[in-house]
Amino acid sequence: MNVLWIGVKRGWAENLHVMKDRRELVTQLVGTVGVFALLLVWMGDKPVRGTDVSNGTFMTAGFLAFTVFSAGLMSLPMMISADREDGTLLRLRIMPRGIPVYLVGRGVTLLCQITVQCALILGVGVAVGGVTAPHWATVAWVVALGTLAVVPLGAAIGCLMPSPKSAGAILGLPMMALMVVSGVMIPVTVMPEVVQWIAQAFPLYWQGLGLRSAFLPDSMLAAEIAGSWRPAFTAAVLGGWALAGILLAPVLLRRATRRESGSRLAERRLAAQAA
Amino acid sequence: MSTAIEVRGLRMSYGAADVLRGIDLDIPRGEVFALLGPNGAGKTTTIEILEGFRGRSAGEVQVLGVDPERGGDAWRARLGMVLQTWHDHRRWQVRELVAHLGSYYDDPRDPDELLAALGLTEQAAQRVGLLSGGQRRRLDVALGIVGRPDLLFLDEPTTGFDPEARQEFHRLIEKLAADEGMTVLLTTHDLVEAERLAGRIAILVDGRIAMHGAPADLARAVQAQSRVRWVEDGEERARATDDPSALAWELHRRFDGPVPGLEVRRPSLEESYLDLVGRAA
Ligand SMILES: Nc1ncnc2c1ncn2[C@@H]1O[C@H](COP(=O)(O)OP(=O)(O)O)[C@@H](O)[C@H]1O
Ligand SMILES: [Mg+2]
Repeated sequence: MNVLWIGVKRGWAENLHVMKDRRELVTQLVGTVGVFALLLVWMGDKPVRGTDVSNGTFMTAGFLAFTVFSAGLMSLPMMISADREDGTLLRLRIMPRGIPVYLVGRGVTLLCQITVQCALILGVGVAVGGVTAPHWATVAWVVALGTLAVVPLGAAIGCLMPSPKSAGAILGLPMMALMVVSGVMIPVTVMPEVVQWIAQAFPLYWQGLGLRSAFLPDSMLAAEIAGSWRPAFTAAVLGGWALAGILLAPVLLRRATRRESGSRLAERRLAAQAA
Repeated sequence: MSTAIEVRGLRMSYGAADVLRGIDLDIPRGEVFALLGPNGAGKTTTIEILEGFRGRSAGEVQVLGVDPERGGDAWRARLGMVLQTWHDHRRWQVRELVAHLGSYYDDPRDPDELLAALGLTEQAAQRVGLLSGGQRRRLDVALGIVGRPDLLFLDEPTTGFDPEARQEFHRLIEKLAADEGMTVLLTTHDLVEAERLAGRIAILVDGRIAMHGAPADLARAVQAQSRVRWVEDGEERARATDDPSALAWELHRRFDGPVPGLEVRRPSLEESYLDLVGRAA
């Protein structure tokens, strides 16, 4: 059987395991979607100040962008770090085709999670929050390209994390900061110009911009940098991140497992238990 | 080619500590070979170098005709590895995992037959993370042989087994070696296990092969001195000797008849082994 097919089956099996573990499933869904629904009910139908666009519509675009971003750059590195810690990566490394199958599998798991969460956010937004229907084709390509931009990158980050516990701590703060400055919750033009430049270096800003272009009327362009949706630029930047990640991830993953062995695994386990 | 593993002058040091100080091994195809030694002797280090997990400081190593540092997927597909501890894939079910990992190989074993052979049929639908220590170990062996390897590495396979599970495990390894001609390299600190399973044993002490050969040869070679005791002038006497029957004969002549309290004790192979390990340490 070929790598792609085994990988898809592996990713799907991992998904079923998460679904069986109700607590994990609930945490995952209640996390983003729950917060989103609460905010919608609380302040979703008020218009954004000085416009006729509802808060709910603005928030939907923001939450979609953040869902993709945090799945790729938070959940995935933590999964990889955990898989390395418990020896799953080592097991796959000693099997033929193991590492490519693993990467495909994790990609599939993540894609399923992102799809389900995005569908829920959109569904809740349209049904509960009276969010105006977006330009669907734009939503589709931005989410797809945005996923490609962060998944390989997240895999690379996951390889660099020393342990699953510290991964959460190391990644949490920068991710929050990035979310605040990237214009997915607060319009980016209220930030100082330096911060705007930093935000534009990361894929989150561009995902947010692409999604806003799908949801918001052109009358909202006043709040955007350069007063334009810049779709070509969005595609180019997200594509660039995707390419960089795809080139980097396999190299880092191989390096992370090359220095791995049974006794090193056992040592780390002992150290973790003692700590 | 009839050699599975060929090692010449293998050395390994961690910083200033020399863990392996020049090891030679020749393991022919189809043999069950035991690397026997006390804790810290360097067994895991040796086996992980052969598996390709670790680099080495010096020496030549060929495993199935390939240097493990350069082994690719095709080479790895011919090996089965059971490491000293595994904790992976805890959320998977037993049969699901065996079938899934089997699908990476071109000609995997049938998962149900494999589980039956390892006595895991009842656990087929159980989560891997909930298996007992012995069951987990048997699953690891199942995963080690699911791809029909030519060469199987087992690092301390029966640690934590109860006597019954150990018996069953020994039968399984014997069967695999006999029926399929699989080459097996196992490490153990248990002489009885090595004696039972292995066609040949190498005793690793302090980073060197102190001795190697078939169990019977080994028994003769490591044989420690026998102890002869008797009573003379109302006092208990004892002497250690390599030739207890000569001493007994001499005593018979001296007493010109039965020797009071005569007792000859030959040390068991295990005592001899402990003696050898103790002398080297
Ligand atoms: N990664 C390592 N770094 C430093 N020393 C190590 C490392 N791995 C093993 N050792 C040392 O090498 C010696 C042999 O270890 P090992 O091969 O695990 O022995 P065994 O498996 O026979 O018990 C031990 O003294 C151990 O402390
Ligand atoms: Mg060991």
